[in-house]
Amino acid sequence: MSDIPQISHGDLWSREGFREDPYVVAETLEEAGDAPAIILPLAVWLGLEDEVRNATNRKIGVSVAPGESIEPLLASLDTIPVIALQFPAFNDGRSYSKAEMLKNQHQFKGELRAVGDVLIDQVAYMLRTGFDTLKVSHSVTLTRLADHNLHDTPVYYQPGRGSRSAPGTYSWRRVPSA
Amino acid sequence: MYRYDEFDHAFVSARVDQFKDQVERRLAGELSEDQFRPLRLMNGVYLQLHAYMLRVAIPYGTLSSRQMRKLAYIARHYDRGYGHFTTRQNLQYNWPALKDMPKVLDELASVEMHALQTSGNCIRNVTADHFAGAAADEVADPRPYAEILRQWSSMHPEFSYLPRKFKIAVTGAERDRAAIQVHDIGLHLKKNATGELGFAVYVGGGQGRTPMVAKKIRDFLPVEDLLSYTTAIMRVYNLNGRRDNKYKARIKILVHETGTEELTRQVEAEFRVLKETDLKLPQQDVDAIDSYFAPPSLPLRPEGWSELAAARKADHSFSIWVDQNVTPHKNPDYGVVTISLKPIGGIPGDATDAQMDLVADIAEKFSQDEIRVSHEQNLVLPHVAIADLRIVYDLLLTDGLATANAGLITDIIACPGLDYCALANARSIPVAQRISERFGKPERQSDIGELKIKISGCINACGHHHVGHIGILGVEKKGEELYQISLGGSGDEICTIGDITGRGFSSEEIVDAVETIVDRYLDIRTDKEETFLATYRRVGAAPFKDALYSEAANAA
Ligand code: HEM
Ligand code: SF4
Repeated sequence: MSDIPQISHGDLWSREGFREDPYVVAETLEEAGDAPAIILPLAVWLGLEDEVRNATNRKIGVSVAPGESIEPLLASLDTIPVIALQFPAFNDGRSYSKAEMLKNQHQFKGELRAVGDVLIDQVAYMLRTGFDTLKVSHSVTLTRLADHNLHDTPVYYQPGRGSRSAPGTYSWRRVPSA
Repeated sequence: MYRYDEFDHAFVSARVDQFKDQVERRLAGELSEDQFRPLRLMNGVYLQLHAYMLRVAIPYGTLSSRQMRKLAYIARHYDRGYGHFTTRQNLQYNWPALKDMPKVLDELASVEMHALQTSGNCIRNVTADHFAGAAADEVADPRPYAEILRQWSSMHPEFSYLPRKFKIAVTGAERDRAAIQVHDIGLHLKKNATGELGFAVYVGGGQGRTPMVAKKIRDFLPVEDLLSYTTAIMRVYNLNGRRDNKYKARIKILVHETGTEELTRQVEAEFRVLKETDLKLPQQDVDAIDSYFAPPSLPLRPEGWSELAAARKADHSFSIWVDQNVTPHKNPDYGVVTISLKPIGGIPGDATDAQMDLVADIAEKFSQDEIRVSHEQNLVLPHVAIADLRIVYDLLLTDGLATANAGLITDIIACPGLDYCALANARSIPVAQRISERFGKPERQSDIGELKIKISGCINACGHHHVGHIGILGVEKKGEELYQISLGGSGDEICTIGDITGRGFSSEEIVDAVETIVDRYLDIRTDKEETFLATYRRVGAAPFKDALYSEAANAA
């Protein structure tokens, strides 16, 4: 195994690579102080006044636990800069369905982020269900992502984001569009 | 049958390469057993009591001779010369070494096979009627749809971390040989009034510690909606299925706790959103998959009937085997042959490498190169000319494969139990062997008639005991292995969960208890035409409980 890479440029990963995470995760608005970009828990976010949520001087995103519904967010998707769906354990798969619904059914245009127990074996699934960014702490995952080893297959049997239909084959088959 | 194209090959070989890398990291100590566990499970590798076990997927139970020979080869070179066919139409190797796993997976890939999704909380190997494409009573072959579902569910990005495992079964006949009502989703392929194909959709069946018969939530789903509707069900389950308690995590509990009506409403609502998306199945794609399963062109062989009559007259044993193990085929000059893997006193579902090779040879010459694995742990030759029955029988006879007991009391399903399984309370295999010996005489079996005994070594119910006409469940009480009996279960189109008779029986008592039940049945049936199940449904449990408990008590 190669050495744990120097990920000096941050632990937020997207297809473009690692970068610094501009967001501060806070339990309340007060706790966040005057941070310009904040992610708040769903319940707290729901309690904010509209003018605070949509203030132009800072970005306020929302974090959703697996047991929470995305329903209350649907009316405001245009104004939410980031939705962080949680994976408290790698085998809790509820956030995959929410990602799929947010990005494909409801056309959420903001950043969709996976946080929590993000392991390398799930990265490809996350990208395909619509996640834009992954907040990574697991060391093997960091190493593999730094090596651009996504543990992916060269072809897929389902439609999904980041893929296009495979010409000349069945309608459900896809190839990566990269 | 389905043949891989480049797409499938690229997919499977990528997965094998990934697993090779993982095994190497495990052997080098870079991965702990804990870290390795979810990865190996995704590739069908379990840890049993004594060794790793590899579970090979046999999609909808269909195999070619070439594939069967490969399974024999693997049994010979990487295992101890045998394999175990399971109730999920899969094959398990009990003794392969971890270091050999990547090689075994390479061997499998060379004949278009793999071990993906045979474990883990994903959509498992899709099963189907083992007589599909051959049975006379079939409306349409269910396998093309099982194949479409297999592809669509392979490494599904949204549904690979479900609350619990998920099993789908498809049948294409009114007579349900695939036990669809004890699956998470059961699909019954049928025609509507205008002759179009579609599915009746059942949801929430299952066995395990809370057995439930599935609820029908759609009477007719057009074929084009198969993937969108299935996705809707899976999504409702993935979001709402319980994750707080592993024993309540199957979709059957969600259906039960939500109520069928409300669950149906949720599924239909999700389906309306998905209906017009790229999940809609174009007819040309269905046709293309269908063409892989085109019925073989079978020459007329009418001479078989007179030959058969003569052969039957000359050999009584052969005649019994034909009665018991040959089922009507769509083509009147052909039959569907069940090869029993239940020799009297043998281990249900086990086959040696030599037996697998023999079956492969016979299938190649006499069954259009096709073999099926049944959920009853037998093998099937789907297309045998009546004219060839005698020679097929003689060949099967050479290696103990001509037991004439399909559907009879010695055609027992048994899980691996305490002989292999780390979760077991009790042994299953030796009980099956002793029952088989007790009732092994051909006259006695045929007098008793159709009777399905199913044995599980613990409440997980891998041996389907809940749907056995007589079900036997191993339980542990104060350190002793005990066996609980249930009666009247059935996994076919009139699906019922068996009723527990009462206190359990020790290992010494269990075979006598079964005999007591059988004797009582013989006493009270109206005539030989009334099967055990029919009798039970007429009289209920009382006469049997009476025989089991009061008489035994009186005698003691
Ligand atoms: C290492 C050996 C095995 C282990 C650890 C194992 C484990 C389990 C567990 C935990 C369940 C209960 C699932 C639930 O209720 O949610 C189960 C069910 C089941 N297993 Fe196994 N099993 C093993 C071998 C087998 C074999 C050999 C077969 C086929 C003969 C099999 C077929 C099934 C079936 C048909 C069910 C019940 C149906 C249902 O899912 O509701 N299993 N197994
Ligand atoms: S029923 Fe129990 S003992 Fe039998 S194989 Fe399943 S888990 Fe093991």
